[in-house]
Amino acid sequence: MGKKCNVYTSEDISRFVDKELPKNTYHEVKQHLNICLKCNQKAEEYRTLSSVFTDHAHQEILKIDPAELRHKLAQTQENLEKKSLRNVFGIFGKNIYLKLASIAAILIISLYTFQGDHPAGPSAIVKSIDTDFASVVIIETQKENHTIIWFSET
Amino acid sequence: MIKFIKIILLFTGISYLCFFPQHAFAKNRILTNVKVIHASTGPQHVDPSLNKIISGLQSVFKYTSYRLIKDQQLNLGFKESGQVSLPGKRTLVVIPANMEGKRIRYQISIQKNRQSIFQTQVLLKNNSSITIGGPQFNNGVLLLNISGSVH
Repeated sequence: MGKKCNVYTSEDISRFVDKELPKNTYHEVKQHLNICLKCNQKAEEYRTLSSVFTDHAHQEILKIDPAELRHKLAQTQENLEKKSLRNVFGIFGKNIYLKLASIAAILIISLYTFQGDHPAGPSAIVKSIDTDFASVVIIETQKENHTIIWFSET
Repeated sequence: MIKFIKIILLFTGISYLCFFPQHAFAKNRILTNVKVIHASTGPQHVDPSLNKIISGLQSVFKYTSYRLIKDQQLNLGFKESGQVSLPGKRTLVVIPANMEGKRIRYQISIQKNRQSIFQTQVLLKNNSSITIGGPQFNNGVLLLNISGSVH
């Protein structure tokens, strides 16, 4: 077994194999590999491993049918859109008619209730007064909105 | 489709129930209640039957005694005249003239010795009341509380 090289790390060698090192460093490592058996062996290992991965990946890629992939992608996109629409318009989901009918019924009942026997304002609106007495006062109580007409007989 | 028809029928039924009573049974009778109250500064007294209206009266008047001296119901049609005898040879005449929206138009007059001394026209809220006060009586005044409801 040779001595372990302390000049370059395994990562440096791996990056050299993958051609990921800066130009200067790459050349330095290349020169080092000529003189260092240990690093050269490591580089060879990485090259073999890399080629195995590359070949396998290439074979897997060849298995993929682009048309099928496109179809699957389109389907996924469509499903996502449907799901988001369902979330946004959740109340108009399955029972749209039932929900619309319920809303309409609530509106009608509310309108009927509010326009019922409770018009706002005083209990009575005085339209006219005709009297010989000089003093006539119309009062509306604060709390009950009760209308009072007061006239003085004297 | 059947479910849709069922829902439409249900919706129509609810709408019908909401609007039917208003249109089908035309309300043309006015139940008018007249309370004749003697208000004075005598010993403190409030007639129990005046509980509903007393707080309104006490917020305006300084009288200490409120005694109910007459409580009369009049079931009148529109433009039908109802009379209530009042103390001191007076008469109250009420005529529900018509409906104006949700209010009853009343013609009210007070007569003394068959002479009209006071006339007014008011639009009274249904199931509500108006008080007319002023006629002098027995060291106090008369308060006439007139309420009306459509039937």
